[in-house]
Amino acid sequence: MNLSFTPEEQQFREQVRVWVRDNLPTDISHKVHHALHLSRDDHQRWAKILGQRGWLAWGWPQEFGGPGWSAVQKHLFEEECALAGAPRVIPFGPVMVAPVIMSFGTAAQQQRFLPGIASGEVWWSQGYSEPGSGSDLASLKTRAERQGDHYIVNGQKTWTTLGQYGEWIFCLVRTSSEGKPQTGISFLLIDMKSPGVSVRPIKLLDGSFEVNEVWFDNVKVPADQLIGEENKGWTYAKHLLSHERTNIADVNRAKRELERLKRIARDAGVYDDARFRDEIAKLEVDIVALEMMVLRVLSAEKSGKNPLDIAGLLKIRGSEIQQRYSELMMLAAGPQSLPLIPEAMEAGWQGDQVPAWCAPLAPTYFNMRKTTIYGGSNEVQRNIVAQTVLG
Amino acid sequence: MNFDFSDDQEQLRDAVRKWVEKAYTFERRRAAVDAGGFDRAAYGELADIGLCGLYVPEADGGTGFGPVEGMVVMEELGRGLVLEPLAQALIAGALLSGYGSEAARTSWLSQLASGESVLVLAYQEAQTRYRLGAGSTVAQASADGWRLNGGKCVLPVADRADAFIVPAQLEGQTALFVVARDASGVSTQGYGTQDGSRAGSLVLRDAPATLLTRDGQTALEHGVDIGIAAACAEAVGVLDKTVALTAEYMNTRKQFGVSIASFQALRHRMADVKMQLELARSMSYYATLKLNEPAAQRRRALAQAKYQVGQSMRFIGQQAVQLHGGIGVTDEYIMSHYFKKLTQLEMSFGDSLHHLGEVSQRMQDTAGVFA
Repeated sequence: MNLSFTPEEQQFREQVRVWVRDNLPTDISHKVHHALHLSRDDHQRWAKILGQRGWLAWGWPQEFGGPGWSAVQKHLFEEECALAGAPRVIPFGPVMVAPVIMSFGTAAQQQRFLPGIASGEVWWSQGYSEPGSGSDLASLKTRAERQGDHYIVNGQKTWTTLGQYGEWIFCLVRTSSEGKPQTGISFLLIDMKSPGVSVRPIKLLDGSFEVNEVWFDNVKVPADQLIGEENKGWTYAKHLLSHERTNIADVNRAKRELERLKRIARDAGVYDDARFRDEIAKLEVDIVALEMMVLRVLSAEKSGKNPLDIAGLLKIRGSEIQQRYSELMMLAAGPQSLPLIPEAMEAGWQGDQVPAWCAPLAPTYFNMRKTTIYGGSNEVQRNIVAQTVLG
Repeated sequence: MNFDFSDDQEQLRDAVRKWVEKAYTFERRRAAVDAGGFDRAAYGELADIGLCGLYVPEADGGTGFGPVEGMVVMEELGRGLVLEPLAQALIAGALLSGYGSEAARTSWLSQLASGESVLVLAYQEAQTRYRLGAGSTVAQASADGWRLNGGKCVLPVADRADAFIVPAQLEGQTALFVVARDASGVSTQGYGTQDGSRAGSLVLRDAPATLLTRDGQTALEHGVDIGIAAACAEAVGVLDKTVALTAEYMNTRKQFGVSIASFQALRHRMADVKMQLELARSMSYYATLKLNEPAAQRRRALAQAKYQVGQSMRFIGQQAVQLHGGIGVTDEYIMSHYFKKLTQLEMSFGDSLHHLGEVSQRMQDTAGVFA
């Protein structure tokens, strides 16, 4: 038992740190460090920079063009990116659909789709949730009917994150109503430029346009864009979730944001207020404890001994912590958080209604309420955790 | 970075677990509580399997093990609600071997390891709460050494210990001394505590003492940090068993025709319990693995750990009783004893509020496991 990374791992971290420092555009990291709005171009620029280095596919095995890193190396890479103020990589391509294509796609599908994901050229979206299917995802209704070489897709997806930028979307669609709801679902890749696909951004409580409704109206999808077998899509989607993913905890970003919270508390004059400072101290302990849990999972993965079944805990705790730091930042600024200045969410705002750092705090707090809802609501996660304790 | 235990550590765990399961039954424990809360024979058995000398160097008759072994042992003792204060043997072993003069080492270390002598750290005074220092106990030079005047309270075992490690003011500093219980001017008053173990107060009137170290504050802080790590590990053992007992009960107990483990309100509560358990385990590992860091990092880390583990103990203890319902508040059933142990552990070596203050005071710009 020990708490230090190996010399090789430390060297690896240093290598990543230097590369990120030299290659992450400062206008982008400025926005991340100040919670300002990131454009499609900002995301794409960083994705392509990573793609050129071969690191947008940082979780992939070598046989598919990834670096073949260990779980610890992946963690260190994610940490260095987060601490440097890199935007979070939009996960739908490299983290979510790519592993499914690798495990269940045909060689032709792999050759067709993986290079565009690894390079950052193609923007992928995720089509899972529907208006009537949130936590109960298997009740989804979007239909795909086989007609010759094609599927005809009809229905609606919603909460599609950044779908307004999407070029391709991977969808769970219903191909059968026989048997249990889970057994009639298929995994389909759809070109969002296909006739009949329409996207409507949903304005969120913080004024942002981060999620969308996506309609499919008699959309013709070539059958060779079906992954694996028809009616097995649920298994593939679950396979995706079953991989122990420590980055769901987002602990690296939490460490960066804790530093920011302390700066904000200083600027706001509450850092030495005992009542406020104790709240930061509690959060600090929460973050250390979460990081220890993440490290325990990594260690278990590395050694293969004593596998840990605590992914649900990581999601619950990580999301609660994200909400808490955004809440404390807003509270630190006090009444200065209240003026609503949408322009101040953009870089370079020169107004003087409030100090520039105050403007994004309340919108970010509002925005972060999503974290305990998405990715399987925390109540669903509690069901899963309870299962491990009570059977 | 690795959280696996070595084969030797697993063997040590098995040995302690076996002793607890075979030799330390709930009935034996109850008899020990009724007899005052300290079973000298049980303490001797712990010494026989090498636990009292865990932090005593091999040259002095111990095993010279490190924090991870200490943690493994404390977890298992916690699981069995063992009353005998092994954490005190860990503290005494580390302080005597790490800070003690040759005289102090030779007089006490091998006896500590063999279980012949029970040594405890006596640092709390009625007015000091959890603050670390000499309090109002004062040391003066005498012809044949040192004399102490003052008093300490709520120290483990007290009237059944053989010697005390006592912080006292010496020339404006906190120094640490060893005082034998049978020395002149030493009086103790023993009592039982809430968790069934024994403690008491100590009064020193011109009591002869051996100087352990003049740098007593450093040593005291180190000793208390060893105590914190031990308490965190012990807590994890207690918590593990508490959660297991509660889960078992919920699957057995039927109401409205079904087992109460089927009710979602209770299932979600258990998910929160599991969260607190794993956070506590994570921070107990953290405490143990930071124990040999330089003092500043060590103190901060140990305060962070004790805060988290304290919160976990309070939450899980209260929830375990609640989820048991009426049987949880009886003396007859074992759950209330786990609850009281958790409560007392939270208030040992500084409670959650105290350690939150420590974390707050020691906060730096960057934070995290490696900060």
